[in-house]
Amino acid sequence: MTDAGAAPPASGRFRGRQRPRGMALWWPALLGALSIAVLIGSAAATGTLQLANPDQSSVSEVRAAFEALPDDALVVVGMDADLGTYPEIMPAVRAAFDDLLARGASLAFVSVSVEGRAVAAAELARLRSAGADADALLDLGFTSGVEAALVRLVSDALPAGASGAVADTVTERGGGLAAFDMALLIGGGDVGPRTWVEQVGTRLPQLPMVGIAPTFAQPELVPYLRTGQLEALLATVRDDAAFVESVAATNGEPATAGGSPSAAAMLLGMLVALAVLGRALVGALPRLRGPAPPQVTEDDEA
Amino acid sequence: MRRSLPTLVVVVVGLLLLVDYVLINPTLAGLASGLLELIVLLAAAAALAGAATLVLRHWTDLTERRRDPLGSGVLLAGFAVMLLAGFYPGSTGASDPAVRWLVAALLAPLLAALFAMLFVFLLTAARKGLTLRTRQTAVMLAAAMVVIVLLLPIGGTVGDSLAALSGWAIAVPIGAVFRGLLIGVAVLTAVHAARILLTVDGADD
Repeated sequence: MTDAGAAPPASGRFRGRQRPRGMALWWPALLGALSIAVLIGSAAATGTLQLANPDQSSVSEVRAAFEALPDDALVVVGMDADLGTYPEIMPAVRAAFDDLLARGASLAFVSVSVEGRAVAAAELARLRSAGADADALLDLGFTSGVEAALVRLVSDALPAGASGAVADTVTERGGGLAAFDMALLIGGGDVGPRTWVEQVGTRLPQLPMVGIAPTFAQPELVPYLRTGQLEALLATVRDDAAFVESVAATNGEPATAGGSPSAAAMLLGMLVALAVLGRALVGALPRLRGPAPPQVTEDDEA
Repeated sequence: MRRSLPTLVVVVVGLLLLVDYVLINPTLAGLASGLLELIVLLAAAAALAGAATLVLRHWTDLTERRRDPLGSGVLLAGFAVMLLAGFYPGSTGASDPAVRWLVAALLAPLLAALFAMLFVFLLTAARKGLTLRTRQTAVMLAAAMVVIVLLLPIGGTVGDSLAALSGWAIAVPIGAVFRGLLIGVAVLTAVHAARILLTVDGADD
């Protein structure tokens, strides 16, 4: 927080500029502590620290939806994650791919957002290089127009020149999204499960939809989960971690890549946030009791 | 009441898609499908036009040394590198290894780093917010602190209780607020769309 009084006179290597003080000194210390917590994170993941949600209901719903799939199921992956929030959901997404492929499902990737297309291309390449059956993967590419694109995909999802076993099956079943047994929707900042429910779900209510989205999207997706328009949803780091653990336990091996984030680092960051916010609130208590300040001023010292 | 061509187009397209949504008619379906193709193409063209405008703007800034020439240079260089990786002879476009490397090794870490800085920026903004609007910010921060406590990644009985409480908070109070928001947004959108379609008062201007 801010220190009262004038800054001490600068000397030595700080001559000519203000010596860092107050909060400015805390950030490097926090960065160092977070780095250490990340490094020791996996070792400290004992009973004291637990990232995975003890409430397994979200995980059970997702796995039940996967189990309900028919043999050799076709799953369309609506990959519209964005590069900023994808690291948060990546472990759960990859575990879902592993689980679906282990059950014999085929995955067809489609994107209506540019960043989603980049993530889809990277994930397809990763799956191919990891040894996934090439016949079980299909790239439906990118379609511009977001909402209009989704409506168009309902009747025509196959791009020109698409070939392979999955493409043939989709063609036999009509060529649209109705050809698939499930939609796995990977959300980002702009496009995600909500857009799919609104544009595709209303036209294909029989298509089961499962969503994986960043935490900030959870409150707006929960109502769709309650109505049944989304069959299952993973949208918190806790649920993601529990799902990764569940898939690893079932398949007898850890998920292919991208483990869950360090619980120790998260705990440290949250404690720091609590300390900073608590101290700021306590400092503001005298102003809360008195009348509203007559003049708005900005505190640039942080 | 002034009727403009864009309004007419919106009304015709909107009504056609709406009727196609509620009626099963091959002719209507064909028309609606054609319109959707057109919208998809227009969206692609708009994206290309946006990219071209961006390049022209920054090229002008760079050559005339206006605003931030260094930033413009970096942007144009990034643009050129990405285009080169996607369009060189023999490239497979977005799935080309060069493009994937640029995305995975450069773009994704940069964006993730920017998002990670939200931690610092949010805490700083919270402190400043308390100075500017003390009461409102205090309520918001108190709620944020409660949410953080509920999400603490700890195990044992305490962790289980916190997880159960956070599940309740999401399902009941937060869920109720968001359900209300979604319903409100949907009603307002429907009303606004109806006003446009029916060309009520000034909605078409």
